[in-house]
This record gives sequence, structure tokens and C-alpha cells, in this order.
Amino acid sequence: MAMAGKQISRWIGWVFFSDIINGLSLTLSYMFSKTVTEHYPDNEKWVPFERYRGHHFLNTDENGEVKCVGCELCAKICPCDCMEVVPYEDENGNRRPLVFNIDMARCLFCGLCEDACPADAIKLGQHYEFSSENSEALVVGRDALIASPRKAEQGGKVVKAKLTTSNGAPISEQTEDEGYDWWRNIRRS
Amino acid sequence: MVEIFVVLVMLLKLAVLVAVLLMLPIPLTWLERKIAAHIQQRPGPMRVGWHGLLQPLADGIKLLSKEDHIPDAADRFLFTLAPIITLVATLTVFVAIPFGETITVYGTEITLYLTDMNVAVMYVLAIAGIDVFGVIIGGWASNSKYAVLGALRTCAQLISYEIPMGFAVVGVVMLAQSMSLVAIVEAQSELWNIVYQPLGFVVFFIAGLAEAQRIPFDLPEAEGDLGAGYHTEYSGMRFSFFMIGEYLVLILLAALNVVLFFGGWNPLFLPLPPLIWFLLKVAFFVWLFMWFRFTFPRYRYDQLMTIGWKVLLPLSLANILISGVILS
Repeated sequence: MAMAGKQISRWIGWVFFSDIINGLSLTLSYMFSKTVTEHYPDNEKWVPFERYRGHHFLNTDENGEVKCVGCELCAKICPCDCMEVVPYEDENGNRRPLVFNIDMARCLFCGLCEDACPADAIKLGQHYEFSSENSEALVVGRDALIASPRKAEQGGKVVKAKLTTSNGAPISEQTEDEGYDWWRNIRRS
Repeated sequence: MVEIFVVLVMLLKLAVLVAVLLMLPIPLTWLERKIAAHIQQRPGPMRVGWHGLLQPLADGIKLLSKEDHIPDAADRFLFTLAPIITLVATLTVFVAIPFGETITVYGTEITLYLTDMNVAVMYVLAIAGIDVFGVIIGGWASNSKYAVLGALRTCAQLISYEIPMGFAVVGVVMLAQSMSLVAIVEAQSELWNIVYQPLGFVVFFIAGLAEAQRIPFDLPEAEGDLGAGYHTEYSGMRFSFFMIGEYLVLILLAALNVVLFFGGWNPLFLPLPPLIWFLLKVAFFVWLFMWFRFTFPRYRYDQLMTIGWKVLLPLSLANILISGVILS
């Protein structure tokens, strides 16, 4: 009897399009829910986590002097041979890099240079917008590496940003420090 | 003198109608993309203009500037003719659609429809049937496998669904005792036909979806198996003619649903002007069609035929029988 009742109610539901209405109500609820899209690069931008491996930078000590001792260990461990380090002796008698070039077009961002560095000098930072139309512009020198952004201190968030250009290439510039966790938008049932 | 004035008013109405109808696909493509996006929790077009409002214009400029390509093996004359047939046939149907009652401008009464034909229902169904020719000719003239298959499917689908569609309207005609769309709307001033003809409405709505080749009945353009169906070989403005034609059929079906089952320009609660009420109802149906599109998957071909011949046709015949028994 219960089985027959179930069967009958299924037939009634079929006649009144119950499953179609279920589907429609689901899509309707999605139609008026918040979108999850991150508005990159116009309005929003993702600040990566601290562990993120982006554009390299060279650490400096408290006097502003570069920490690198020019040992070339990073260049030796580099699996794609994209680094070129030429050491010299500065006025204090310290070994420092005269040339420190990284070819970003060849780098695979494995982070082995970071591991190999005995002086805690080379790191991979948070910067990830450095596309270019010619590969020569992707060879980054010593001073540019010192100036490039450090690791994110409070990463893993979406912040407000605006679209600008830097050296002719479009980038999204962060305008506010406060951000939100993107995953909060994801609906879980 | 008076005759000339009447003709002038007629021409003016015609010009306004055609202009509005040809412009309507512009906001509708935007609306369709927005609805699709929001159902999928995306924002949709955002970058051209405020919330992407100018996106259709950008797309239009792109289509205009594209190469107008005619394949070597195609029949040039028919290939050129097909999009025009589709567009013209669809535009011609709107002549019979009543958009509202009469309005008075400077002491003259102007009707908000072009003609009040006494066989408007027949006319609408017949002329709407002509746009099948555009599709078949287009698919055949392209001389491409995908286009021919798409055209054949369209042909079979449209012909199968015209029958239940026509029968579903019979119930409405029996109630109004007239085939004039104006008379049908006037007959609904008390209570809308949806109350008397729920079954007829369901059949008409589903058959209408199939006639407009919308999901879940968009087999003619099933991207997965046919490229793009009958307009695979079309590019540039010719393609956009087909697109405009498709949107016009969408508007037409929304308008027909409103006129036949939802009381045309008759107000529901608010005493808004009749034309506004009509447009609101049509907008609701257009939205409903788009909502359907992004909710349901596509039917298989045999399912399509089963629904048409084994479900909708008997239902529409039963509807006529029931209406006849109750009315007599």
C-alpha cells in the first residue's frame, strides 16, 4: 500500500512538472545569489599567501646593503640555468654580486635558489604580474631585484585594486590593505 | 485627406514597430548573457559600459566588420536569400499582434496594433511557419554536412510541433468565438484564458519552446553534434540576421503566450496603461524562456519526437475535446 502511494504521488508530481519546478527553483536561487567572480584586474586582486613563489627579490640588511655574498650557489643549483651571478669585492672587502641576472622567461619558480642560499638573500616574493611582449625585458638585474616586492605579510585575501599600466604593461595595482577571504563566497551544501 | 492621414499613421506605426523590433535583440543578448552568468554565479559582461551594457554594440560592430564569407560550393542566390526570408517572415507576423487598445493623441484615436484581422490566429501560425523555409534553404544552400543535418532536424522539429501548437490555440478560439487576436484579448477582460485552458497553455508553451528552437528543444543548433546547425557557414551580418530572427521569434512567442492565455493588455492588479501591462507580461515570458534555457539540458532526438507526437498531440486533442464538451 505504501509502495502504491509512493507510486501515485510520483505520478501526480510528474503530471504537475514537479521535477522541472525543482530545477527551476534551484537556478532561480542561484540567479539572485552573490556572484563568486573575483573582479581581477579591474576592481580586485588576489594577494598570494606567504609561501607563494612569485617574482624573485634580493634581501637587504638593516643598512640597506644587499645580503647576497655572491657565492653563486643559486646559479649552480638552478635546474633551468637561468641565473647569472658575477661577484666582486666592494670597498669594505666584502664579496658582493656585481651582476645578478635572472631570466624570468626561463625560470620555473621551483624555489631551489631560495633553499640553497646561505645568506638568506634570494627569495621568491608575492609579485606575479610581470608579463612582457619581449623576452629580453624579462631578464631582471640586481637593482630591480632589490626593489621588487617582498613576500606578502598577510596573504591569502582579495583586496581592492585598480587597473593601471607600469612600463607600458597593464597591471592591477593594490589600493587597499584590507581584504577578504575569497573562499567565503563559495556556497557549500 | 482623411485617408491620407490614416495611411500616414499606419506607416508611422509600421516604422516604429520595425525599428523597435530590430533594436530589441541588442538589449536581449545582453540580458540573456547576464541571466546565464548569474545562474552560474558569474557577473557576465562587465567591462564595456556600465555592467557591460554596451557589450552588444561592441559585438555588433565586430559582426559588421567581419568578412562576409560565402563558401565556394554554396548556392549564392539561395545562400543570400535564406537569412532575409527568416527575418522578413518573423517581422511580418508582428503585424497581427495587438500591443494595446486605442490611445488618443491630439483628439485622434490610434490603435496600438497594425491590423485587426479576423483570421489573425491562422495568419500568425501560417506566417510563422514560413521561417522554416529560411532555415531549410539556408542549410541546403550552404552545401555543408552540418548545415544540412541541422536544417533537416529543424524542418522535422518545426513541422511536428506546429501541429500541437495549432491545436492548442483551437481551445482559445472556441472560448473567444473568434480568430481575431483583438477579440481574443477582449474576451479575457474578466478572467484570463489560463484559468479555462491550463492544459492548452502547457501544450502551447512547450510547443512554442520547440518552435523557437530554445533549450530544451534546441536540437537544430546542438553545438556538440552539429557545429552550429543550419547557420554553420554563415558569418558577419548574415549570421546576425539569423540571430535577430531567433530573438524575434522569442519575442513573438512571448507575445503570443500573453495574448492567447494571459489576457493581453488587461491589467492584473495595478491600473497601469494597457501597453505597459502588455510589455511587462512579454518581458516576464522572455525572462522565463531565458531562465529555462540555462536550467535544462537538451532532449535527445527520439525524445523530441516522442514528446511532440505521443504526448503533446494527444494532449492538445484532449484539450479540444474537453473544451468542446464544457462549452456545449
